[in-house]
Parts: sequence; C-alpha cells; structure tokens
Amino acid sequence: MSKPSISIGLNIFIATMGIVSVILLLTSLVFLAVFSRTIDDVVVTQSREINKQIVMNFEGYINSVIETANYIQFASFDMDTETDAEALAELYRTNSDMKKDVVAVFLFDAAGRTLVGPTLDFTLADSVAALPWFSLARDLKEIFHFSSTGESSIAGGRDEGVISVSKSIEYTRNGITSDGVLLIELNNESITDLARKTNLGEGGHLLILDDRDALLYSSEPPQGTMTAASYALARSLYLGGTRASIERVDMYLYVNTLLHTRWRIVTVSNVDEINGAMRRISGILVAIFAVAVAVSAAVAGIISLQVSRPVTQLRKVMRRIEEGDFSMPVDVSGQKEIVLLSHSFSSMVQKIQELMARLVAEQREKRKTELRALQNQINPHFLYNTLDSIVWLAENQRTGDVITTVVALARLFRISISKGENFITVQDEVSHVRNYLTIQTIRYQDKFTYELELQPDMSEMKVMKLILQPLVENAIQHGVGDDDGHITITGTIEGDFMVFRVSNTGYGIPDSKIEEMYETMRGGTEHPSVGMRNVYQRLKLYYGEQADITISSVQDESTTMTIFIPVDGREGRQP
Amino acid sequence: MTISRMLSTIVLVSAFMAAVSMMGCSRDEPSVGLFLYNEADPYIKEFAKQIMEESGPVFTPVQYDAGNSQLIQNEQLEGLLVRNPALVIVNPVDRLSSHSVLRKLQAAGIPGIFFNREPLAGDLALWEKSYYVGAKAEQSGQLQAQLVMQLFGGEPENLNGYDRNDDGRIQAIILKGEQGHQDAEIRTREVLRSFEAAGFIVEVLALEIANWNRDEAYAKMGPLLKDYRNNVELVVSNNDAMALGAISMMRQTGMFQDSNRNGRIDRSDELWIPVVGIDGLKEAEGSIAEGYLYGTVKNDSLSMAKAIVELSGILLGHIDPSMARYPVEDGTYIWIDYRPFISEQ
Repeated sequence: MSKPSISIGLNIFIATMGIVSVILLLTSLVFLAVFSRTIDDVVVTQSREINKQIVMNFEGYINSVIETANYIQFASFDMDTETDAEALAELYRTNSDMKKDVVAVFLFDAAGRTLVGPTLDFTLADSVAALPWFSLARDLKEIFHFSSTGESSIAGGRDEGVISVSKSIEYTRNGITSDGVLLIELNNESITDLARKTNLGEGGHLLILDDRDALLYSSEPPQGTMTAASYALARSLYLGGTRASIERVDMYLYVNTLLHTRWRIVTVSNVDEINGAMRRISGILVAIFAVAVAVSAAVAGIISLQVSRPVTQLRKVMRRIEEGDFSMPVDVSGQKEIVLLSHSFSSMVQKIQELMARLVAEQREKRKTELRALQNQINPHFLYNTLDSIVWLAENQRTGDVITTVVALARLFRISISKGENFITVQDEVSHVRNYLTIQTIRYQDKFTYELELQPDMSEMKVMKLILQPLVENAIQHGVGDDDGHITITGTIEGDFMVFRVSNTGYGIPDSKIEEMYETMRGGTEHPSVGMRNVYQRLKLYYGEQADITISSVQDESTTMTIFIPVDGREGRQP
Repeated sequence: MTISRMLSTIVLVSAFMAAVSMMGCSRDEPSVGLFLYNEADPYIKEFAKQIMEESGPVFTPVQYDAGNSQLIQNEQLEGLLVRNPALVIVNPVDRLSSHSVLRKLQAAGIPGIFFNREPLAGDLALWEKSYYVGAKAEQSGQLQAQLVMQLFGGEPENLNGYDRNDDGRIQAIILKGEQGHQDAEIRTREVLRSFEAAGFIVEVLALEIANWNRDEAYAKMGPLLKDYRNNVELVVSNNDAMALGAISMMRQTGMFQDSNRNGRIDRSDELWIPVVGIDGLKEAEGSIAEGYLYGTVKNDSLSMAKAIVELSGILLGHIDPSMARYPVEDGTYIWIDYRPFISEQ
C-alpha cells in the first residue's frame, strides 16, 4: 500500500474500542430486551396470580354460600313447610343468624308469598313476585341467580345494598311437592373483606361486573376517575389480561369469571414499577458501559503505546543510521517481537559496519596500489630519455657530463624510492627536481636556465613526493624552444597552503589549450602527457578538494603552473 | 478495513440469530383447540380420545386440560385466542362462566362448539357461531327409570321377584352427582318423576351426594349399607363411576355372588340388587358383562364426537353442510340421544 495508513497504535486503539463498544452495546441491548421481557412476564404473571388468588377466595365464598343454599334447599324438600314449620323456620333463622354475611333467608311460593323467613313489610309483601331476582329464578330454574341491584334488604333494617341469591327450589307442603323460590340475602361485608386482602399495588383495584356489564362492586369508590376509567375499559374485556395506561399509570387488567355466576372479576394492578425498574437498569447499564469504555480506552491506549513506542524508537535509530551515524546503539525495549526485530536490526547494522570498514580498507589498499602504479609510470619515460642522453654524452666523449648525469640520476632515483615513503620533505622534493633539472640541462645542452627559490621554513614540511618534477617536465617541453628559456620554481607558504609555482618563458599557451589541459588533468580525455594528470589525481586523492593545480599563461611571455597543497591537509588524510 | 469487516460480521451474526429465533416462533399455529374440563374424568378422557380419533382425517385439535378449574381453562382459552384459532371446542368447567367465554369468542369472531356442559340458552344466543353438542339430560333419567321398570316386570301393581320384600314398593338408594349441579338435579328429578308417572312407588331410603366420584361413592356406600343392606332393592346412580364405586363396596359386604358357578353373577341370588348408572363407560360395560352392574344409559359419546367433528369440519370449510348427518337445531344445538345399555340374562 503506497498510501500511508494510520499508525499501528491508532489502529489497535480504534479496533479495540470498536469491538468493545459493539459488544457492550449488543450485550446491553440484548440484556435490556431480555430483562424487560422477563420483568414484564414476571409482573404480568404476578398480576395474574393475584387475580386468580382473589377469584379463588371469592369462589370459596360463593361455594360456601351455595353449600348453605343447597343445605337449605335439601331441608326445604325434606321437611314439610306446614307440618315441620317450626323446625324449618328455626333452620332458616339459624343460618341467617350464625353467618354474619347472611342478612336474611326466605322461601317464597310461586306467587311470591312468604313461606319461611322474616315477616315482610305489608307494602312489600304483594310485590315480591315483581322483583328482579324472583323473576330470574322463575325464568331459569336450574341455576343460582346472583343479583346486586343496590337495593337494601327486603327484610328492612339496613340501608346498605345486599346481594340477592335466588334459586327456584322444590318444597313440600302438606306432602305435596311444588316449586318455590329460595332467597338468600348477603351483605357486602364478605366481598369487601375479600377485596381488602388483595395487594394490587398503588392505585390498583378490583371491579366486579355482572352479565349486563353493570358495576356490582368496586374496591375503590366508583366515582373515582381511576375506577371510571378502568370500568370503561373493563366493559369491553371478557377474559384474559391487557396492559393499559390509566390516569398515566401503567396498569394490568386481568379478567376472570366467577364460578356459579355470570359475573366477572376484573383486577387492575399497578405495573408502573416495570418502568421504574427499566429506568434503574438502563442507568446501571449506561454506567457500566461508560466505565467499561473508559477502562478499555485506557488499556487500549497503554497497549498501543507499548506496541508503537519501541517501533518509533527503532525508526529513530534507523533514521540516524540512514543519515550515516552508526554510533547510536540499537537498544529497544518493549514487546518480544519488536525486541527481536531490533536485535536483528542491530546485528544487521553491525554487519553493515563491518562491511563498510572492509570496503574502506579495501579502497585504501586499492588507492595505495593505484598510487604506486602512478608513481611508477613516471620512471620509464624519463629513464629512457636520460639513458638516451647519457648514451649521446658518452658518444661525444663528454665524460664529465656523463658522470654528473649518472650521479644526478642515481640521486633522483634514491629520492624517488625514498624507502617506499610517499611523503618526503619539501627539501627532498626540491632536490629531486634539482637532480632532474641537472640531467635535463645537460640533455638540452643549456638551452634553458632555471632558478629555484624555496621559503626556508617550509623545507622540513612534508609533501607528497614527485609532484614538482612532472610540472617542470611540462615547463621544459613548452618553454624550451630556440631562444634561451628560463624556468622559475618557487615554493612559498600562503595562508594555509603550500604553494609551488613553476613558470617558464615562451610563447605561452592559448586559453583553449589550457582548457584542454584542465580536461586532461581531470581525466576526461586520454592524452599522451600523463604526468600532469598523474600529479593532479594524486593530489586530489590524498589532499582532497582543497588541493589544486592552476595554469595561467601570458601570450608570448610566460606560462605558470601553480600547485596548492593545504599545510595540515596531509595529516588528516594520511592513511 | 478489518474493523468494518468485523462490524459487518457481528451484524450478520446477530441478524442470523434473530432470524433463527423468529423461525422458532413461527411454528404452525394450532387452528383448533379442544378444551376439556378435567382429563381425570374417565368419561371425558374417553370422549376426548374419540374426538381426536374422529378428527384425525379432517383436522388436528390441540388438547387442553383444565384440571377442573375454570381459572385454568380461562387462561388456556386466552392463550389460544390471542393466536387467532379457527375454532374452539369447549367442555366448560363452569357452565355459567361460558357467558364470558362466549362474549370473548364473539368479540374475537371465533366460532365455538360446547359440549358435555351446556351453557345457558341465553348465553349461547349471544354469539351466532356458538353451538352445543350434547344429550338432553332429562332423557338419561327417563331411560334409567325405564330400565329399572323393565327389570321389575313393567307393571307397577305386580312387581316381580326383584321386589325382595314383596311390599309392592321399590326401596332405593340414590347416588347424586353434585348438589346443585344441573345434570345431577335433572337426572335425579327425571328418574323419580318417570317412576311416579308410570305409577311405580319408589321409596328413597337415602339420597347421598358423591360428587360424580367413584371413591367418594365407595366410601359413602359403607355406612349406607350398614343401615339398609337388608332393605335396599335398587341403587340409582347419576353416573357410572359412582355406580362402580358403590358395587365395589357392596361386593365387599358379600353381595353379588356367582351361586350357580357359571362364571357370571346371578341376578336370582338373594344378594343381587340392581345398580343402574349413566354414561356407558368402558369399565361399566365390562361390569355389566360380568353381571355386577345391571345397566347403564349410554351417553353416546362416540356419536357426539362424530357430531362435533362433523360440525367442526363444516365450520372449517372442510365438509359440505348439505352432507351433514347430524342436523343443527335452532342454529345452535345438535342433540344426541342416550341409549340404554343392559346385558340380557
């Protein structure tokens, strides 16, 4: 990938945080969903159980009423209302007196005349047959009719409404069996007691509706807005449960039937606690989420730092090495992989260093060899010319000159060899040139003169050997013509440089030729005159860029070649 | 990028899981529910079995047992109704609670077939798609009386040898199902009324309530036999279970003997007295074959089951109404006759 992607540390951080957030979010959502469903189920189940408990309590009560009624029914059939009137009346009385919920017990004949039971008010006695519970019992004989019209007892005495339990039964009168109507009046106390025992939560209440959806009983005042609202809802509910918001409170309505009646009991339980619980659990989840994200952010940060720091360290070291500085030790601490990597890198750097050292040594060796080769190039030309002139001198019987030449040649070679040293004193270099000039003056039969001037304090300075001789050779070649030539050689110290000048008289060299000579010196083109180039390259090789050779010429007058050598240059570069 | 790939993987996995759980929910909805008041009642158990067998080729009802609790049945009904069944077949625990059940069915628009316990006519009228399949309770009592009268010679003035004390009256013990229970009341009333109408004088030695229950009948028969073992000439039971319970106790006191050793209980024996039941349980048939139980009035549950299945098939659209073998009367009732069942000896 060419595009620089985000850093390892950031990558780790983002990945970790992404995973943690997604997992936490999913877990929280799933947990919330499951929790809400579970708590919903629990609350609904609880509401249903409460309802069932209530209904069972009521059933128990209704059963006890029916048992009483059955007992009375059985007795009424068994005992003659005429002949056993006393005993039967006693039985009726006992049942209404013993049971605190029973207000009165009556037996009426088919026309509504009282056979057994308390004496009725004169005004009421004739109209019993017209009362709703009476006609219900006559119309449908097999079942018990529970009706609650809110009317007070027909026996009088109490103002509160009663529940009328009526049933068509058979009674015996003077041995003849006939149909009559049994009436048991119940007060509301038992129902109220049963309803009071229930726990339907704050605002929870209980309603009892009859088969015409009339509200028979309400545990809360029926005028209350809550009751009115739940009653309105309950009218269209026949069985089972439903959730509803009543007066902005979450309620669970559960409808059940009541055994032996066509009534239904509606419990309205407060399930608002679900919302509270959900709010609490949501808060806790958010807190857990925040803490978990913070902790994982911290951990991810630390891990990403631990991973990226050694990498950064390693990169710094690498950059320094890139810049050529091998001095810094590669010492990276941190993860195992990075440390191993740095170890590998370290040994690689060491190898490189070794390789470089070897390369440098090899280069140095190569340079020495080259240098020696360059120095040795001088000799064959000169030796041939000199030997040629010695032969010429000997042929002309110039013994003295032969001796001078041979001696000078011997000295020249001794300095040339100079025990294999590359650097010799300026004095030795100058005497080398002087020996050379001695030989050349003889060879050129004094066609030129020369002078040598050396600043005395530089005579003991060391200089690369055999640098002046090629220049002098060049000066002789260009400066010695038909007229008498003159060659001047000076050595001075100018600033930080040793400066050697070799001047010769003559026609001078045109600028184009000078350019050509520079080219030759720099090694651009091959040229027969190798001496100048040889010197130039050796100077550069040993003294570096500061060392130089310049050529200047004045037309028809003179040519001067100058060598600049840094005074202290040699030491730094000395191999 | 790895992160986005990871995220998409997580999303995919959760989507897959959601899909799996959805699939788990979308199983075949039961289209017909069969609600029984109490499977512990052998008659109901057999009845349900017959319905299941008969319905086999047409539909498969899911069976619910209320364990004799209207509360449980209400809950079971509610549980099925929210899943919008095509039909409910209900044997109510409490016939009066059917009022609310019918209104609920009407509100949900789901047809309902009731059986075994008859809702009030007024309640059935609340919902036009409500039906009752059953027998007329009066008939059972009447047939029961006929069986007895047949045994005693058919002439009230001239009772045969089964009038053990030869007083021209039949001394009887009556085992009543449940005080106040519609069927118990009607059966008891009708059997006595039929005797009376035919001129037979039946003297009720005792009327014991045993709540349709065999064990209770067995237990209550003990003290009764102590008092009336030598007087009793007839035991009339509101159902077979109580009759069988009574026979167990009677055998324990030495009644019912195979005096001629033909492998059958002899009616001619002094200690044999007729016991009659109602329902026609398998066990009762066995008892009749062995000679213990004189007879029973068969609540023809097989025909009822067939009628229920046929009506269900019509309501579900599987059966052509014109092919119906069991006619619906008044748009609501299918009446199945009781059948007397005795062994000839």
